[in-house]
Amino acid sequence: MEVLMLGWEFPPLISGGLGVATYGMVKALRASASIRLIVPRSHPSSTLENVRIVGVDRAVKEELIREGHEHDLSELVDDLQRIPLELSPYHSIRAILEETEHSSAPQEYQTVSSITQLGSYFEGHESYGPDIHRKVYLFSRLADLLSRKLDFKLIHAHDWVTYPAGLRIQARTGKPLVLHVHALETDRAGSEVRNDVYELERRALHSADTIIAVSEYTRDQLKRHYGIPPRRVNVVHNGIDPRTTQRRAHPFRDKLVVFLGRVTRQKGPEFLLETAEKVVRVYPRVKFVVAGTGDAFIPLLETMAYRKLGGKFLFTGFLDRRRVDELLSMADVYFMPSVSEPFGLTALEAAQFGVPGVLSRQSGAHEVLPALTADFWDTDKYANYIYALLQYNALHDDLARRSREMASQVTWDAAAAKIAQIYRGLVLN
Amino acid sequence: MPSVCFYFEVHQPWRLKSYNCFRIGYDHDYFDDAANQAILNRVADKCYLPANRLMLELIRRHEGRFRIAYSITGTALEQMEQFRPDVITSFQELAETGCVEFLAETYYHSLSFLYSRPEFVRQVLAHTAKIEALFGQTPSVFRNTELIYNNELASFIDDMGYKGVLCEGLDYALGARSPNFVYHPPHSASFACLLKNYKLSDDIAFRFSDKGWLQWPLTAPKFAHWIHRIAGNGETINLFMDYETFGEHQWAETGIFEFLKNLPTEILRHPDFDFLTPSKVIDRYPVRGEYDVHAFSSWADLERDLSAWLGNSLQHDAMERIYSLEQQVKSADAPDLLDTWARLLTSDHFYYMCTKYWQDGDVHKYFSHYDTPYEGYINYMNVVTDLEYLLEKRVKMQMQVQVQ
Repeated sequence: MEVLMLGWEFPPLISGGLGVATYGMVKALRASASIRLIVPRSHPSSTLENVRIVGVDRAVKEELIREGHEHDLSELVDDLQRIPLELSPYHSIRAILEETEHSSAPQEYQTVSSITQLGSYFEGHESYGPDIHRKVYLFSRLADLLSRKLDFKLIHAHDWVTYPAGLRIQARTGKPLVLHVHALETDRAGSEVRNDVYELERRALHSADTIIAVSEYTRDQLKRHYGIPPRRVNVVHNGIDPRTTQRRAHPFRDKLVVFLGRVTRQKGPEFLLETAEKVVRVYPRVKFVVAGTGDAFIPLLETMAYRKLGGKFLFTGFLDRRRVDELLSMADVYFMPSVSEPFGLTALEAAQFGVPGVLSRQSGAHEVLPALTADFWDTDKYANYIYALLQYNALHDDLARRSREMASQVTWDAAAAKIAQIYRGLVLN
Repeated sequence: MPSVCFYFEVHQPWRLKSYNCFRIGYDHDYFDDAANQAILNRVADKCYLPANRLMLELIRRHEGRFRIAYSITGTALEQMEQFRPDVITSFQELAETGCVEFLAETYYHSLSFLYSRPEFVRQVLAHTAKIEALFGQTPSVFRNTELIYNNELASFIDDMGYKGVLCEGLDYALGARSPNFVYHPPHSASFACLLKNYKLSDDIAFRFSDKGWLQWPLTAPKFAHWIHRIAGNGETINLFMDYETFGEHQWAETGIFEFLKNLPTEILRHPDFDFLTPSKVIDRYPVRGEYDVHAFSSWADLERDLSAWLGNSLQHDAMERIYSLEQQVKSADAPDLLDTWARLLTSDHFYYMCTKYWQDGDVHKYFSHYDTPYEGYINYMNVVTDLEYLLEKRVKMQMQVQVQ
């Protein structure tokens, strides 16, 4: 079966979890489908056997111009000038931008005045960025043009940035459209948000032929905030590549509770702090390690200092893969108090290292892991669980063992099998 | 002349209240009085009182030909005394008919036989004392918690002076033989084992209201017919089950009380059949063969082993931790702490930590007031941690007093 997949990131050019998920999924899907993947940017090393990967940046120069699409492209150059660059104040991208190092430097928007500049628009850029709407629009038009030469039976688009492209191609070809929800604007910007991205998502989701959500939790969010009937939503949990891991001793006398990820409102840093304060009262020999940074980092630091918890926290800043592994191999508890977490891959990574999780119930990870869960605001419960894991070895070891076992069963092959089933259902109808 | 031997288990644990880590060291009151009272009230109204009323009526109507046995745990009796004395009175009325036998068991419905013989003996004696005080009977037949049993238990119970013991009729131990005879354990040809006929018992206890069951609906004539078919190939049909089957596990709406009401008449319709209590079965029928069980068995789950209470490392850890306090508790000379400690030995606490069916995601398949087995373990361990702290404090205080 030939599938046109629309992605936003692909290794090695990745900035977030979407690229990792796209890669894992495409790789496993090759066994049952022929994938043609269009992404904004590709790298010469972005290859996968039996998968046709089309990077818009290079394809504009190498294919569209050479093949005489100048007329379409000049039209696009004109249209693009009309897409506003302003972001609404509640735009979730603001939060993402503010935490990146580039945010401090004033942004220069790239201008597009000729068709050759269209292709290079995505080059060397952040995958997101303040001109995200332009990128999304440009991608939708160019992906549409590029898709004309490809043979496919259905369209599979990942997250809001590729939904307009999916809709455009669906409208032109009448082929079934699968929208894959990895995260929603309501996760990123709060459940009350009703901004332009939210509107875009809502419209697209209602036009999709079928929807795939990364968790039951997200299916519930789709119903609650987007009015999508649950029967239209298939839950396919992400996979994680199996790996062998080892525990190692750490130099601290205290036990380590690890928080890993962006320090943004969505990740619940204030609940982390409140919980830590409570745990320390009953289990003083503990350190909370915060690995990551973000726009809520400074407030976290300030409140922590005010509450005199400085001695109980370690901040590592952003860690690369190797350091993350090192940290997880020493951790005693993985703590994820997220306010809204569609999946929570890091909890599975921790599980691979045999680190038991105390997880927010407003997350997808606990649907596939035997973790201890509480509502994101229930810091008494979090603290009780963390205390128990630190204090009762039998509990820690049992959960560690089960977490490892379960994590090994959450594979991309299992996810791909479900997705292939969904494809078949769509094409047969 | 075959007999039907009915025995009902009556048990309520002292359930723990939600006890998080912040209470450790401050709150020494572990039990959820409100929940325990509410549950006892519910079970009393739905099961104990209506079922007792019916039993009394049946005993009177059949003029001594209908007989039954109970085993009521010490913790259940305590709760009845505290919250519902009317239930005690109603059991006393049954006791006075002379057609009701009370069996011995551990006071706290514990697995103490596996961990501490002195504690086991203490609990059995305490239970006997309680039964004597309330019902004026001295039990002569023993049933262990959840019918946990092996050869060693039989031998130990024999030494304690009982004339028989109840156990599960295990297929692998019986082979092709029928559970409907009196057997003896390897150590003695005169000590009796009464084997539960699990098929017929579970037809009532578990399958009665199962509409997917081919035999549904189960009527008294149908069940009596199955019993009568045993004539010629059996002497005692042992129907052992939780008393809460009537009205609580099987709601009144299922017709369970109607069934029970008609059953004696239907069974007695066959002139060769009668009802006997366990000690009378042992008196009347000879032992017919050896029943040899090495590993511990029970009446729980499909496995019929210890895995419901000792199936994972959490359960082992919790069990070992609480029994490790025995010497300390007993030397502390503090009856309140001893009682609290013993209440924590009740098997239910460990059952709540069972993960057997949990990994399949079916958390609610089994009866527990905790969301997850982990929750059950954590709550329990927090309580034990506080008890340890309390014990240490008590011992220190006593030492200071001695010094002064």
